[in-house]
Amino acid sequence: MVMASTWVEADFENVFREHFERLVRIARRVLHSDAEAEEVCADTFLKLYRSGQGVLAGGAVGAWLCRVTTRASIDRLRRNRRRGRREEQEELDADASSADDGCHDPLSRLMRDERIADVRSALARLKPVKAQLLLLRHSGLSYQEIAAIMQIKPASVGTTLARAEAEFSAIYQKQHRLDKRTARLEIAKEG
Amino acid sequence: MKKDDINTGVLLDELPQGGKPDVSAAWNRLRGRMRESHGRVPLRAWSLAAAGALSVAVVLVVTVAPLRAWAEDLLAIFRVEHVTVLDLNSSSIQGLENNQVFNQAMSHILSDNVTISEPPRPPQPVADAATASRLAGFTVHLIAGKTPNSLMVRDAIIAQMKLDRDRLQSIVDEAGRNDLRIPGSVDGAIIGLRVPAGILASYGNCGEPVKMTFKEKGWGARLGLAPQTASQHADDTCTKLSELPSPTASFPQEVDPAEIAQVGLQAAGLSPTEAANFTQTVDWTTTLVLPVLHGQTTYENVNVNGIEGILLRPRLAGASGRFDLLWVDNGIVYSLMGTGDDTTAINLASQIE
Repeated sequence: MVMASTWVEADFENVFREHFERLVRIARRVLHSDAEAEEVCADTFLKLYRSGQGVLAGGAVGAWLCRVTTRASIDRLRRNRRRGRREEQEELDADASSADDGCHDPLSRLMRDERIADVRSALARLKPVKAQLLLLRHSGLSYQEIAAIMQIKPASVGTTLARAEAEFSAIYQKQHRLDKRTARLEIAKEG
Repeated sequence: MKKDDINTGVLLDELPQGGKPDVSAAWNRLRGRMRESHGRVPLRAWSLAAAGALSVAVVLVVTVAPLRAWAEDLLAIFRVEHVTVLDLNSSSIQGLENNQVFNQAMSHILSDNVTISEPPRPPQPVADAATASRLAGFTVHLIAGKTPNSLMVRDAIIAQMKLDRDRLQSIVDEAGRNDLRIPGSVDGAIIGLRVPAGILASYGNCGEPVKMTFKEKGWGARLGLAPQTASQHADDTCTKLSELPSPTASFPQEVDPAEIAQVGLQAAGLSPTEAANFTQTVDWTTTLVLPVLHGQTTYENVNVNGIEGILLRPRLAGASGRFDLLWVDNGIVYSLMGTGDDTTAINLASQIE
């Protein structure tokens, strides 16, 4: 049986300071602004605080935080997608203003932002667990770390990731074909 | 674009990491929220009626299945016409009852995600069936030839529950089933619940009310039909009759209750096959499912005035001969609790008019 014991604030602050930045960086990959990523991570920490230390009985705090944050981020991404194109445009704007893009040419930046929006859209269409796996892997986590976070066998991480990547690829390509068809129709209308 | 034209790894690696967050400012904001959370209303402070409403909500959320097919414009509606039993493995449920983190998570859902439109008043004593019928809004039937020692009318409860996928997932995780996933489509969805006004009639020596444990409560009490109290110094003459028009629950179309039901049943200890079989054999749109713990409650289907009912008997020490008979007649859910053999229970039920 898991026992819930409440947090000592100083201990909890240490946990927060140790993990917050890394989690925000992971969440930010799929969310359209720094503020949104920080909000999702803060919610995760609040959940940890309210649950007491009992939730950690099944594993390390870092793995728990990572699992809950990535899941919440994917859920938020899916919700954002349902809200429609207006938010997608805001997403493009937010990413265009980010400082770490390394793109100085406006056209390259625009194309890169469109690719990011398409990647996120494809992730949102995947099953959440698969999107979560891809997010973790492409945030630089090892198979071992992913296994601990997702509570799956280390030996099955590779296969599961390969399946997730194949599905992602199929969705991304389908989206791309639809976008091209829409663009051709628009050009035809204008012409 | 040809399939080989894209490199999944490159695309995913290109996702931005954003700027460096101000950790101290974020900590200060979070600390404020942590302090606010200390003031939350604990589960035990909820009114008994609200707890009853939640019981109904939980039963419905966990068990209702193919409501998606209902052709309502905006909402799917659930109404009770039958009662059936779901026999659960007691060890998995007892584990949950003793799991403090699980209970805390449930408490947070109650305090954060359930809104009672108007707090119900304490049950009101009334003089007779006619007054009870007028206040409750349906025709109240009592046991013929017997005068109740008390007759109470309980207010209707209208509640909304906003589904929080992460919280529900944490409950499933805490139940030891982190292999199960609550569907993302439920997040933010609002379930409406209406428990109409009902009545409780007590006959014989029912003693003084004292709080009951969950195990001691009959289904009438768990569903908010009857008070959540037992009767100290009650004797075998004590009989309680509760009546409640069918509660209704509404779901947004985008929520697939079948998915939730599958997860809920598996979290409660059923295998995926058992969960699938159970959902296929019950008409979920009209059936109220009563989970009972295997080995702790016996149950059988009985005939009450031509209608199928469920007769439950606890196997608790000191509860020998006690019964809880439930049936649904003309849209009213009846619960009759008392002491005696099956014939006594069914005879008493047949005298209700």
